Amino acid sequence: MIFNSIPFVLFFSLFFALYWWVFPKNRKAQNILLLLGSYFFYAWTDWKLLGFIIAVSALNFYLGLKIQQATVDHTKRWLSYIGLTQGIGGLLFCKYYNFFSNSFNELFQALGLQILWPTLSIIAPLGISFFTFRTISYILDVRNGKTKAVDDGVVFFSYVAFFPSLLSGPIDKARTLVPQLEKNRHFEYASAVDGLRQILWGLFKKVVIANNCALITQDVFTHYQELPASSLLIAMLLYPFQIYADFSGYSDMAIGMARLLGFEITKNFDFPYFSQNIAEFWRKWHMSLTSWFTEYVFTPLSIYFRDWDNKGLFLAVLINFTVVGIWHGANWTYILFGFLNGLYFVPLIIKGTMNKKKKWHKNGSLTGLEFFNILKTFGLVTVTFVIFKSESVTQAFDFYRCLIDKSLFKVPVLHGISMLFLLGLLSYIAFFMGMEWQAKNKNHALDFLENKMNVWARKTLYLFLAFVIFYFSSMVTNQDFIYIQF
Amino acid sequence: MKELLAQVNEIFIDVLDNEDIVLSETTSANDVDEWDSLSHIQLIVAIERHFKIRFTSKEIQSWNNIGEMLTSIQDKLNQN
Repeated sequence: MIFNSIPFVLFFSLFFALYWWVFPKNRKAQNILLLLGSYFFYAWTDWKLLGFIIAVSALNFYLGLKIQQATVDHTKRWLSYIGLTQGIGGLLFCKYYNFFSNSFNELFQALGLQILWPTLSIIAPLGISFFTFRTISYILDVRNGKTKAVDDGVVFFSYVAFFPSLLSGPIDKARTLVPQLEKNRHFEYASAVDGLRQILWGLFKKVVIANNCALITQDVFTHYQELPASSLLIAMLLYPFQIYADFSGYSDMAIGMARLLGFEITKNFDFPYFSQNIAEFWRKWHMSLTSWFTEYVFTPLSIYFRDWDNKGLFLAVLINFTVVGIWHGANWTYILFGFLNGLYFVPLIIKGTMNKKKKWHKNGSLTGLEFFNILKTFGLVTVTFVIFKSESVTQAFDFYRCLIDKSLFKVPVLHGISMLFLLGLLSYIAFFMGMEWQAKNKNHALDFLENKMNVWARKTLYLFLAFVIFYFSSMVTNQDFIYIQF
Repeated sequence: MKELLAQVNEIFIDVLDNEDIVLSETTSANDVDEWDSLSHIQLIVAIERHFKIRFTSKEIQSWNNIGEMLTSIQDKLNQN
């Protein structure tokens, strides 16, 4: 059940009505409803694996309580190892077992060994990478005394399965979401309206930008060998907008929906394409994941390697980003994507500018150098997204090879796409980026409107957005969100 | 503690390259713009070298504010 589908709209409308009108001011009933709603939402897509998420929640709920009760340090440690083994082991088995089997088999074959490691037919539970990261952070935080164990089963199970962010994040840590589940929630009109705005913007990004970009990128990445390099260049430049609009669109809808239910969940994107270096980009891209990795992978590693100064920092960054890459899925493309992004940090570490935070000028202007840096960062990211998008590393390099060709100066060929459509899409992207630029110090792109636009201009804009969303919803068949596969 | 705080304040100014930083025992990473996960490690290395002490990984990750960090430093100095 994806957010921009009729079944979901019906589900959410009914849920919203029950949540606020049937069970208002009754936190326990609202939490039970939230849990049942989340399981219904999950079961709609994948009912066979509902048992898995329930079992995972039960085990981690029990472990959290036991870790807190344990008085001896090594008991706490061993109990946490059970949770980590379940979390990391479950992920490795469900998502990566066949990848490792195939890689071993290729290695054995290359070495001339007659060994065949068996592959299995495994169905990875949807959203496993997202809800597993919630349980892992919970277990580590309870062990390290950063959060208290949750003693209310409904609260904990709802935390793991919270439906707005269950399938594709943001990945909330227990210490941010659990306290909100434990307190009474009141319907706040202003916050709900802002949530609706964020949903509207998320829908625009997904339906108008991402789905239309996909019409071009999907075809070009499939037939890149038969097309002129100019077509490849167009697809390569569109893909960063597609993936950003797709994923941040989903996050906007998740955050907006959570706000409609009285929750403030973690921000996931902070206008990343206006970043002036790669470190800033990663502070603003998929923030809930990068902050997770920073806390549980990068920080312990950099503490461990701290005597090696910059060399230690390189190593910690490279390992961290390689694992970030692997998190996306079992393919060498993701590993290389992560590793390359880690390598991009090297000049920043040498210059010592890795953690220098840029502030925008008060009048919103941009110097030539800043503009150049934004383009440079976008360029660096674009190059790695080709690898991210490709089916294999070989295909990615073949794509680059085809790109460097004199057909770069030929008229691009895009199957089934008219020049008018392309120009229209580029105008929508310009509008999309323009709106985001205006709101770069805000929470989302429609957040700045109240101060800058009168009520009629605002209403016209909302109507325009709603119109194009409906228009393109009927034109383009619903496409799944890219990050749901992870 | 006051003397310690002043020394740590100097280290923060030096590492984070910001003359305006004024720390108190309740200051946390949220209060200082430049204090993030990356600069945290640089601060720790600078503090360890300055005081000639060595923290454990667990200690480093347990601090919630400057006061807790200062207590750890004081404990280490007392042990030496």
